[in-house]
Amino acid sequence: MTNGDYYQLLKLLAPEWTVVGTVLAILFADLQFWRNRSVAWRSAGAASILSLGFAAAAGLLIWKRAVTADLLGGTLVLSPTSQYVKLALLGLAIVTAWLCTEGEFTKHVGEFVALIALATAGMMFLVSTENLLMVFVALELVSLSLYVMTAFNKRSPRSAEAALKYFLFGGMAAAFTLFGFSFLYGLTGSIHLPTIAAKISWHAGDPLTLVAIVLVVAGFGFKIAAVPFHLWAPDAYEGAPAPAAAFIASGSKVASFFVLGKLLSVGLPGVGGSGAWKAFSPGWLAVVAILATASMIFGNLAALAQSSLRRLLAYSAIAHAGYALLAIIGGSQPALLYYAITYAVTSVGIFGVVAVVENRTGNEDIAGLAGLRERSFLLSVALSVFVLSLAGVPPLAGFFGKFYAFAAAAKLGSSLGYWWLVALALGASCVSLFYYLQVLKQVWVAPVPEGQGKVAGGWVVSILLALLALAVLVTGAAPELLIRFLK
Amino acid sequence: MLAWTIYISFAAAAAMFLLKPDSRQGARVLALVAALAGLAVGLAGALQHAGGGLVTIQKYPWVPTVGAEYYLAADGISLTLVILTGLAAVVGILFSWNVELRTREFFAFYLALIGGVYGVFLSFDLLLLFVFYEIAIVPKYFLIAIWGSTRREYAAMKLALYSFIGSAMVLAGLVAAYVVSGAQTFNLVELAKYPFPASFQNWAFPLVFVGFAILAGLWPFHTWAPTGHSAAPTAASMLLAGVVMKLGAYGCLRVAMTLFPEGLATWRNAIAALAVVGIVYGALVSLTQRDFKFVIGYSSVSHMGFVLLGLMTLSTIGLSGAVLQMFSHGVIAGLLFGVVGRMVYDREHTRDLDELQGRRLSRTMPFAAVTFVVAGLASMGLPGFSGFVAELKVLIGAWQTFPKLAVIAGVGIVLGVAYTLRAVQKAFFSGDQEDVPGAVHGGHAHGESAITLPEKIGAVVLIATTVLIGLYPKLLLDWIVPSFASPLFDGLRKGGLL
Amino acid sequence: MSLTPGLHHFLVVSALLFSLGLLGVLARRNLLVIYMGLELMLNAANLALVAFSRFNANLNGQVMVFFIITVAAAEVAVGLALIVALYRKRQSAHVEDLTSLKL
Repeated sequence: MTNGDYYQLLKLLAPEWTVVGTVLAILFADLQFWRNRSVAWRSAGAASILSLGFAAAAGLLIWKRAVTADLLGGTLVLSPTSQYVKLALLGLAIVTAWLCTEGEFTKHVGEFVALIALATAGMMFLVSTENLLMVFVALELVSLSLYVMTAFNKRSPRSAEAALKYFLFGGMAAAFTLFGFSFLYGLTGSIHLPTIAAKISWHAGDPLTLVAIVLVVAGFGFKIAAVPFHLWAPDAYEGAPAPAAAFIASGSKVASFFVLGKLLSVGLPGVGGSGAWKAFSPGWLAVVAILATASMIFGNLAALAQSSLRRLLAYSAIAHAGYALLAIIGGSQPALLYYAITYAVTSVGIFGVVAVVENRTGNEDIAGLAGLRERSFLLSVALSVFVLSLAGVPPLAGFFGKFYAFAAAAKLGSSLGYWWLVALALGASCVSLFYYLQVLKQVWVAPVPEGQGKVAGGWVVSILLALLALAVLVTGAAPELLIRFLK
Repeated sequence: MLAWTIYISFAAAAAMFLLKPDSRQGARVLALVAALAGLAVGLAGALQHAGGGLVTIQKYPWVPTVGAEYYLAADGISLTLVILTGLAAVVGILFSWNVELRTREFFAFYLALIGGVYGVFLSFDLLLLFVFYEIAIVPKYFLIAIWGSTRREYAAMKLALYSFIGSAMVLAGLVAAYVVSGAQTFNLVELAKYPFPASFQNWAFPLVFVGFAILAGLWPFHTWAPTGHSAAPTAASMLLAGVVMKLGAYGCLRVAMTLFPEGLATWRNAIAALAVVGIVYGALVSLTQRDFKFVIGYSSVSHMGFVLLGLMTLSTIGLSGAVLQMFSHGVIAGLLFGVVGRMVYDREHTRDLDELQGRRLSRTMPFAAVTFVVAGLASMGLPGFSGFVAELKVLIGAWQTFPKLAVIAGVGIVLGVAYTLRAVQKAFFSGDQEDVPGAVHGGHAHGESAITLPEKIGAVVLIATTVLIGLYPKLLLDWIVPSFASPLFDGLRKGGLL
Repeated sequence: MSLTPGLHHFLVVSALLFSLGLLGVLARRNLLVIYMGLELMLNAANLALVAFSRFNANLNGQVMVFFIITVAAAEVAVGLALIVALYRKRQSAHVEDLTSLKL
């Protein structure tokens, strides 16, 4: 380790420094200058600072997009793909920050927006490392920020309760992950993923290996809300302030899927076992296949019974975690990232609509959307685009996400071994159409309730939502635009 | 040039929202102009492509990562169905001139549906075809759920779920074909050349075929059709029966049969039997219905049975008969639904045949009665109408391969005469108008309930078409027959099936 | 039989601690006790890491433990803050009272 290395580290981490600097700038501005301003003013100001700072970070990322680096034994690993994923994370964070301007759920907006930025910094570190220690620390930075964000609505008793449940399940997940990591370290003597990969195949049949795999997958199963580790999701989605829920559903998902995919395909390629039909053998492929099956079935069936829009979204997120796991099984990073990013864009968009509608009507049920077409045309169209994308209707991004993921899983193994999983996923998508159409039915078919006026978000949020809907449409109609960055 | 049919429809659908929310007349005119433009482009393009061979319209790389192309092309079969779509679109708009509720949105969904349908008929890339096929599902749901009648939300959801399940089956087969061939292409012509292993074809064929055939009303997967048709607003049922059911049959012919000829050979008898069951079952059920639209809905199931039977004959005469029957049924079913949904239901506010029985509508609305009688004759398959040529060709083709089934299908035709006459009799020619006090259904005083000009034009256009094709089927057959010589059907020929 | 404990002794203790912690999280009703269970699980992982570090003859595991202890401290801060926030709303620190959201 020489000084030159540190200098390079500073240079390569310039986007992350910028993000951390943004955190401090937001806190400073809010505490120093804006004490006497209105909450609305302060939230817009904080979101503006965050947007500026993140735009600068994005600029740095685009400038250095062709970078490849591997420093300090895998602690910092940069590739063009990781740079693009970070770009996506920054974009999602900007939208989330602007959602804070919809509805006053706290007086301490500056801190809330700063926490969004802090979580983003954690996610950025998370996607640029191949070191178990770094994965753990970054993951905890993300998680702790999100727990606090979830609890931020002091007026609602549900917010604290949701945060506590999220925290308890998340803490358990961290412990599982860590225990799994300790076994991986014990088996291979290393916390560096490629080194682990080289040595772990010696222990392919070792029960300890299997325990380690199950523990690690369980830990990340919590983060991505896969059944049976999903219990926190409906409560957190329902109780959290809308921007926090949006970020849990978007940024956190992208980063977690990226890391889980990397951990399994870079760190544990030799101990996959098999999840093929009638050819099960222990390994992470089998474990992930079981999680995917359970998530798709349970998520979709439970979603059918929901009347709260946010809980519906939570169960649909569980189902989508199942679909995305197919891309991990297929071992296709572009498919996984395309799925995760487009899904995140869609989710943050839906929560944007939810935030605006709840703020204006105070109604959190699906029925609260009744007659939205008359009350806001923009929100209706945007919501329809997002929901249809989740349902997987082409030419929206959700369709190609599913297509890539399913095709990746279908290609794997000889004689169509994973077809049972693909068939199940297609069947599950059919079920999901039912509840997605229930949402759209409220928007377009249900009569406009009496005495309900127009619904409109702030102009920045409206523009952002329109852009997100457009992005879903464009990346769906021309998927090559996105996928070529993710290879 | 033909590609503009798609673009015009979608552009007009989007342009609807530039109009003022309450501009009903503007929306109608815009929709009509777009549909007419689509029909004109379709006709002009079709005339250019005389000969029926496979002609590429547009071909660009679309998703190079998976080898999908934006590949639009046309052969005689596509041309026939594009013209049918254009006709149905124009007449459907004429028949929905009286839509007052959210007119703008109605026509936007309507044109989006039309655009998707054009897209399916012109796509020769499997993935692109699938995308258009799915685009057509969502507008159908809204058209029925918002503007429909009896149990509209149930019917709309049933239709959407059936369609989605069908398309999921198709997608499964499509991904399987893509993965197994390993050819990194979705080009239909290329994929059709690939010799898929027989064991694979044996399960992939029924998957894809049934997936499409759900939409074509294959018995026993037809139950969405009568409920969907009867709940839908007039224009939507005209499109559903006239065009959307053809999407399914087209997919069966274009995708399932060309890609998996060996699977087809295995399943051929079973599917032919189901088709004949559909013919007879549809006709029998139609005979017992009280709801006028259910009569037509089940008759559609019966007539689509002829299409599927024609496909299974695998002879040029049977196949061309099937395609001709798609066209013919599209026109006739459109006409029947137009009369029942628009002319009768919108004025009498009932479709119950027993209620209509006393009203002797032939007096109050002679035009509707005449139109329905003519359409009924065409639907029965009387010589001189398009249905006759089409069903005759199918039966001749079936006689050569499945003589027993052909006889049973012949019984279906006789039953067709029975249910059509029953409906005509009950709806239009029974009861005595003089006996019924005007106050009971005085809502249709002659002045306001007279058949309007758009309806008359629409009806005349459709009647003229069915007569024209009935008298001179060569017009379409010159396109359809040479299509089967294209390389797409090489697989069938190689197996000695065509 | 040697009297110096081998790797598997440490692992057994660590697995026991982890199981006890998990049991505490799942079975206890008081939020603070549940939270202590969580800490126990983390420390079980720490013990395993230290043991592995010793027997793998490199320091990666030990370094990791230092970080984990630090992170766990941060987690305590957040977790206790959340429990206090909930206590203020509900005057209770029992899971039975977490009922405003259905499970």
